[in-house]
Amino acid sequence: MNGQGLIKGLGITLKHFFQKEITEQYPDVMPELAPRFRGCLQFEFEKCIACGICVNSCPNDVLSFETEKSENSKKKKLLSYTIDFQYCMFCNLCVEGCPKDCLHFDHDFELSTFSRDDIKRVYLRPAEMDEEEEVETASMQDEQENKEQNKIEAMSKALQKNPAKILAQVLEQEEDIKILSELVQESEKTALKMAELLVKDKEKAAKVAAGFVTKEKKNRLQAEKGGEE
Amino acid sequence: MEHLFTNLAAAFTGWMITLGLSPVWADIILLLVKWIIIITIITLNIIVLIWLERKVSAFFQERLGPNRLGPFGIFQTIADAIKLLTKEDIVPSAADKLIFKTAPMFFIVVAVMLYTVIPLGQGMEVINLNIGLLFFISIGSLSTIALLMAGWGSDNKWSLMGAVRSVAQMISYEIPLAFSLLGVVMISGSLNLQDIVAAQDNLWFIILQPIAFITYFIAATAELNRGPFDMPEAEQELTGGAYTEYTGMRWALFFLAEYTNLVAVSALMATVFLGGWQGPWLPSWLWIIIKTYGVILVFFWVKWTFPRIRMDQLMSFSWKVLVPVSLGNILLTGAGIYFCKWMGWC
Amino acid sequence: MMQSDIYTVNVGPIHPSTHGGLHAEAVMDGEIIQDVIVHLGYVHRSVEKIAESKTYQQFVPYTARLDYLATNLPVLGYCQTVEKLLGIQVPERAEYIRVIMAELSRIASHQIAIAATGIDLGATTGLMYGMRDRERIMNIFEMTGGQRLLSSYIRIGGVAADIPKEFIPVVRSFAHDIPLMIDEYNGLMTGNEIWAARMQGVGILSLEDAVKYGVTGPNLRASGIAYDIRKAEPYGIYDRFDFDIPVGSRGDSLDRWKVRIEELRQSGRIIEQALDNLPEGEITARVPKVLKPEPGIEVYHRIESAKGELGYYIVSDGGKKPYRLHVRAPSFINLMVLPLVCRGGVFQDIITNIATLDPILGESDR
Ligand code: SF4
Ligand code: SF4
Repeated sequence: MNGQGLIKGLGITLKHFFQKEITEQYPDVMPELAPRFRGCLQFEFEKCIACGICVNSCPNDVLSFETEKSENSKKKKLLSYTIDFQYCMFCNLCVEGCPKDCLHFDHDFELSTFSRDDIKRVYLRPAEMDEEEEVETASMQDEQENKEQNKIEAMSKALQKNPAKILAQVLEQEEDIKILSELVQESEKTALKMAELLVKDKEKAAKVAAGFVTKEKKNRLQAEKGGEE
Repeated sequence: MEHLFTNLAAAFTGWMITLGLSPVWADIILLLVKWIIIITIITLNIIVLIWLERKVSAFFQERLGPNRLGPFGIFQTIADAIKLLTKEDIVPSAADKLIFKTAPMFFIVVAVMLYTVIPLGQGMEVINLNIGLLFFISIGSLSTIALLMAGWGSDNKWSLMGAVRSVAQMISYEIPLAFSLLGVVMISGSLNLQDIVAAQDNLWFIILQPIAFITYFIAATAELNRGPFDMPEAEQELTGGAYTEYTGMRWALFFLAEYTNLVAVSALMATVFLGGWQGPWLPSWLWIIIKTYGVILVFFWVKWTFPRIRMDQLMSFSWKVLVPVSLGNILLTGAGIYFCKWMGWC
Repeated sequence: MMQSDIYTVNVGPIHPSTHGGLHAEAVMDGEIIQDVIVHLGYVHRSVEKIAESKTYQQFVPYTARLDYLATNLPVLGYCQTVEKLLGIQVPERAEYIRVIMAELSRIASHQIAIAATGIDLGATTGLMYGMRDRERIMNIFEMTGGQRLLSSYIRIGGVAADIPKEFIPVVRSFAHDIPLMIDEYNGLMTGNEIWAARMQGVGILSLEDAVKYGVTGPNLRASGIAYDIRKAEPYGIYDRFDFDIPVGSRGDSLDRWKVRIEELRQSGRIIEQALDNLPEGEITARVPKVLKPEPGIEVYHRIESAKGELGYYIVSDGGKKPYRLHVRAPSFINLMVLPLVCRGGVFQDIITNIATLDPILGESDR
């Protein structure tokens, strides 16, 4: 007391006068950020599966997306993904929830914008992704065709080997089956045709099979007649 | 170097007389020129001073202070001055317009008047008044009126509180301020500042009058409204006190005047207690600058270390501690002088 | 006798020293305070109502915004309440990390209180020193939680992520430096005669009044009772730590100030013990994605936050969201004594009292 405290205080400030300054020289020297630092939320469109977990886990309705049912598969197609950043409170819940790791925070903390509209970020579906998808579907069709071809071939072989069993699917009378079986075994062309139809369309196969049979019956009748003559 | 400015002045007068002017007119013109020079120096000096206070306070707080404009941020104050000049001048609708507008001008005029008597070097002063010290003290106390005007004219509770505080504070601290200088006057036997400087030829008065120095320093801090006695402003309590309603250049004038006062009081302290312009090797006008800045740095140091005192404690400190101590100092000095005479030392 | 009028001065809601949107209307007679009327609600964000529209997990980040200077403490309180509601057992390692983070938050909050008191009383340099030391805690939070202030690192069932490997040495060196920091604060402020004069005998809160008003935390302890929920009703693993409860005797501003400074030291001790005993293991319990407590149960859980007894009261109706959530905010209750402690003082004492009562408006207004 009696001034000693004052003098001690003066001593402390004097000591700091000669110490190194601690001011951060931002923006001349960017601060060193910890690896976990959460700056700006980034979204990777390609990885997202539009599952909606992020939207549901966000407390502040920052995130939203639009989807479209794609024609040739049950998968939802992501059209756009919106981050309305002005409401984000950097809580990391969305990032932790995402099963595909498509959300992450980068270290960019300079988020000020001149207008409110600039804060909102909309990710549109990149054009490359649509092209990729077309190629994908095309190749898928090819693949399917290949598969069918293989099936047909297998079927025709099976027909030639054991026709009765297979043809029972399309014909009812045993006589007819026997006739067609003979036919199939004789000509590969018929076998292939039958096989294709069997794979693709059973009803049509039945009709065509019946047609084959009647035709053959007629042929045979005429042959018998001719023989008699 | 020593007689640079005095020779210049003499040459100037001589030149004017050769032009056919009567010596009286030449003197008047010389006086005007001195004033203009002093005002220019004050303004330029304050630019440096504000920058210095910012830098010094920053260093006390482990910060860097202004460092954007120019080397070490030296141009920061200029930028701020330009900013203040171009700011909108807001006068509150309920304000007493005349008083509100004249207060800052009054404040700065009073502050500049203090420089009239300070010897800025050997034979360098605007007027060599034989009651220089008295003049300084009385003009110095006029700034209270400016603050009261500002507080009253603003029609704002904060301002008025600040103004009332400043009046109470200044009146209380005027007394120890004058009393502590009295010891010096008793020893030197003159109120003329040049005589006081001359009396410190061998020994600075800070050694002969240490108690007076300390009481004067404390009272001067209060007079200058600097921390820890910055009651009239008290940003954290009165949100700027008497200056609350001021904007732009009017506010800047107050700011300017405060620093002008600071330099004047520091210069007086250097003159009265630290041997004035006397010193070896360097020219006298440089010595007074060095000593003044030394005192200013101590003011800065104190301000940036101490918390603000409370109003009632401030008053009781003045009346219960400073006044008795400075009175005691006068008594002691008187006794000392008699003792010296009795011993035949002086 | 001179006749003087009573007049009012509005300290706040926009004022340099009200620590946020506090509005204290001072009824003055000259420089003497006749009464102070506290107007609250400038920072009201209806946090309790928001809780009813968010799932239990989603509300976690909001709790940090109650006491934004000691962010981990309100989050800890909320998470422990929900854990109590659901009967979740938190793994050991997570408990220890939580204690470290909570105590760091307490230190950060007290350092802000110290710094703010410094600037409120005009010791600007005190502000800078307090903030400088708090900066180290902010860096630790950034390292662990990813955010400097509102990291919402503590989660229901544990913590969000394991501590990084540089965490332990950094925290250890910080805890080691706490006594040095305290020396500096004491040297610059506590020991200063002006400081003591400004605080001694100012804003005396008697023990009786403190208990009557329900004041808790450092403000209560400064009035002379060693009541700390960490000791009185240990939550988490606080019963395993050895620390003292600093108490004051007069209940004035100086005591409140000294208690806060001493609590820095005690928090440092707790951190050191927690670091020594930090076990390996899981950092979070298995918590279902959707939390649905039993319908009709209600819990109240309280912790010792930096400001006092912070309690959460949750009523569940069996849904994903709380049916009702109430926060017992210590700042709100502590602020109620402001008129009491200010009366009869001079104008500058309002500032001292607000500073040493250390309210946080985000919490008191909710
Ligand atoms: S960080 Fe939080 S607030 Fe921001 S988008 Fe993710 S979940 Fe929403
Ligand atoms: S959680 Fe991930 S994958 Fe699911 S919608 Fe969100 S960003 Fe896409």
